[in-house]
Amino acid sequence: MRSTTRRLALLATVLGVLALPATAAARQVLIGSGSSAEQPILNVLFKAYSKLHRSIAFVYTPNGGNAGVKDVQSGRSAFAVNTRPPLPSDSGTTQYKLYLDGLCVAVNPANSLANLSVNTTKNIFLGLSTSWSGIPGSNLSTTIDPIGRNSTAGSYTFFQSAILGGKTQASNVIPQTSDGLVATAIKNDANAIGYVGLAHAGSGSGIKPLTLNGVACNATTIKNETYPLFRYIWGVLPTAHPSVAAERFLDWLRTDHNAGRIIARAGAVPAFNK
Amino acid sequence: MSATALATAAPPDPPIAAPPPRRCDSSASWRLSDRLGLAVAWALGLFFCAITAAIVIYLLLEGLKYVSPHLLVTHPTAGFSESQTGGFLDPMIGTAIVALIAMAIALPVGISTAVWLSEFGRPTALARIVESTVEMLAGTPSIVLALFGAIVFESPVLGFLSQTTNHIVLGRSFFAAGAMLSLVGLPLVVSSVREGLQAIPSHVREASYAVGKSKTATTRRVLLPAARPSVITGAMLALGRVIGDTAIILVLLGSTLNLAGAGGAPLLSTLRGQGSTMTSYIYDNAPTGEGNQPEKAYAAAFVLLVIVLVLNVVVDFTGRRARRLQWS
Amino acid sequence: MQEEIPLEGGSGWSQDQRAELVLGALVCLVVCLLAAMLAFVLHEAWPSFSHNGLSWFGNGGSVDNQIQAIFTSGDVKGAPVYTFHAWPLLWSTIIITGAAVLIAFVSSLFVAVFVVEFAPDWLKRVLEPVVRLLASVPSVVYGLLGVLILVPLIGNDLITQQEKVSVNPTIQLSGYGLLAAVLVLTVMIAPIMIAVFADGLRAVPRNWLEGSLALGINQWRTFWHVAVRTARPALIAGTVLATARALGESVMLSMVSGGVGFAPNPADGLIFFFEPSRGLASTILFNTEELDSPPMKHTLYAIAAVLLFSAVMLSFTGWAAKQPMKRYGMVA
Repeated sequence: MRSTTRRLALLATVLGVLALPATAAARQVLIGSGSSAEQPILNVLFKAYSKLHRSIAFVYTPNGGNAGVKDVQSGRSAFAVNTRPPLPSDSGTTQYKLYLDGLCVAVNPANSLANLSVNTTKNIFLGLSTSWSGIPGSNLSTTIDPIGRNSTAGSYTFFQSAILGGKTQASNVIPQTSDGLVATAIKNDANAIGYVGLAHAGSGSGIKPLTLNGVACNATTIKNETYPLFRYIWGVLPTAHPSVAAERFLDWLRTDHNAGRIIARAGAVPAFNK
Repeated sequence: MSATALATAAPPDPPIAAPPPRRCDSSASWRLSDRLGLAVAWALGLFFCAITAAIVIYLLLEGLKYVSPHLLVTHPTAGFSESQTGGFLDPMIGTAIVALIAMAIALPVGISTAVWLSEFGRPTALARIVESTVEMLAGTPSIVLALFGAIVFESPVLGFLSQTTNHIVLGRSFFAAGAMLSLVGLPLVVSSVREGLQAIPSHVREASYAVGKSKTATTRRVLLPAARPSVITGAMLALGRVIGDTAIILVLLGSTLNLAGAGGAPLLSTLRGQGSTMTSYIYDNAPTGEGNQPEKAYAAAFVLLVIVLVLNVVVDFTGRRARRLQWS
Repeated sequence: MQEEIPLEGGSGWSQDQRAELVLGALVCLVVCLLAAMLAFVLHEAWPSFSHNGLSWFGNGGSVDNQIQAIFTSGDVKGAPVYTFHAWPLLWSTIIITGAAVLIAFVSSLFVAVFVVEFAPDWLKRVLEPVVRLLASVPSVVYGLLGVLILVPLIGNDLITQQEKVSVNPTIQLSGYGLLAAVLVLTVMIAPIMIAVFADGLRAVPRNWLEGSLALGINQWRTFWHVAVRTARPALIAGTVLATARALGESVMLSMVSGGVGFAPNPADGLIFFFEPSRGLASTILFNTEELDSPPMKHTLYAIAAVLLFSAVMLSFTGWAAKQPMKRYGMVA
């Protein structure tokens, strides 16, 4: 008796699971991977593209820009999205500029600071300036709490080359593993200063972005490349036999107006989509 | 009184059932150190309850705006604001699938290992090695297991367990994630069941052998049912650990927004495909993650905890019908 | 260990021998799988160990700078750099794990005693699913709660400006540090300990406790001196499991422990409790993205090998601690 009930239960489970929706087998699945910071923007772009081309479905794995490039090199992914410029170790891939993004330097709203020079930012993150009393424009006189990114992050590598002149950040900078964690750290500490992507420094984020060398951190200044910390987001395809569908998608991303609008709404800056 | 009167006297009253044992001594009569110990036990016990309540209530309050039944049945979609991004049906299904696969492997293997360790266990050197290996598993960070799993499941031999494009095996699927997650839960099952089996006094086993039962029959019919509370503890701890894992999901399941099947057959395509779980959904959408939807993340965390609580209560209720037997 | 009861009659494999063979084969399979994993990790880790020798475990320069040098050398395809002195990471893991296990052991023991013996019945029924619920909370949620509640509390209310100035610019004291990490880790591993301790305490034969009560010993002393003492193998098993969990915890610690490769110095007095650091497992998490750069891969696998090795050592310690108890007939 017990074994029959067990068998019935097993059958019911199997049938129930079988009823799970399966994706339409006729669609072509494009597998991508790469930067996790860009995943929210990319998901919306995938949705819009799939609406236009109903035969294409996307699967994107946010395992990090470097891992994405390796996936493309080994053939596991059809395309990848990366936030750092190409390196010599990326052989076998062709990389295209997709859109723009910027790093905003932000402080807690309790800090009256509004502008920072690149040199002062460098001194803060190298541990040479340690007190807010030494920074003109700030109403605080406490120690500075710099927050940074972990050393393997694309944002950190970019910040290092653009601001720190290639030196490593000082040991009094607390590294965090994502922009969200940096924003949270700044929001909860009146003495904090850190750098986040444009999307995390918006009006509802609870942190105050500064102007760098007098230039504000917004879409316009990033687009005309006057803001010191602008960078491109790159799309990666294999050099030999790239997938036609992936190429078309990346072209659409770079040039279509609708794609540009989506990118702008998501907090990044469209580069070539007028 | 004459002898006859005694002889015809009413029979003595039937024995009254013994009253339930009472703890006659109140703690007021104890030594100071004992009263202190009792006070500390009470204080820590209540503090523990308070912490749990605080965690659950905090998640509830933070996610209350968005905790609604409609979240549980809507697929997540990409969007710009929280109201456009749908619910978390796919992560919930993902959690269920991954937990099922992982427990389907971890429970039988774990119980078998525990039975072997406690009932057989020869040669002794092998038993020692097995113990150390299982405890080594317990101490492995899940990221290391994920990386090892990536290597194993990307080999062509196991290509049928995940998607294959142009002879390159993707290596990410529910099968892969479930298999490595079972390794995460295995040590908890083994440890718990082994403790439960070893707590059974040897005279129970000897009594069973004395009536002619073989060791196998004894284990199946006497020992395991008696150790059922320990099996349940181990299973629930393992399930909790499996549900709460992020690293393996990210590397071996792909952490995509929706369930993405691979191939045509309905059941198999889901299992060979990619998806996400509630934990990776929370990880991505929390204020500290990349996708900016904190309210959904809190709602998801609250729903996850409620599901786990309900599961625990149900299993407790049905499984502990066999109250721990008195061995005296 | 039970003796094999000889069965009369029958030829060939008896049911028990078949069962032993099948179970033994399954167990060997599990061991082989894990041995394969260990071999794989050691093989990948070997270049890092061979380049550094024993100084891998020592102190020497900023470990963060060394990590950056390692993966930069892999990215630009120059000569691979392997120099790595992991002492700050080791020390951080030792302190955080040790402190969390110690605090969790003491509190879990009291809570387990409370749950099994002294709580009113209704509270007992509530506490059991509650303990397992806490064990099921994902470490991400613990990290989140730590970052959003505990860290600002410590940073704004417990750390004074003088303390911050005194260590600037070597390290930053802002709530991300040892205290937050140890507190959250304790709450994370306590449920495992409580569940295993409670199971062990419940298995103590009732008549032993009643015999002690009958001698006039009060309930607390009975339970403490008889039950807890009898359940010592379960206490050890629970502690080993919880310590292993603490060793392998990466996500939560990466969020609250401070992230810099700094070895906290107990000689700093009160400041010691607020100093940031980074453990071994968190270091793997911080650098996973660079896994494909060969020198970084070897270094990360070397860290994983150290963690695996310490888990094995932990297992041996647990076994050694149980050995003296075998004298009393406790099966350990």
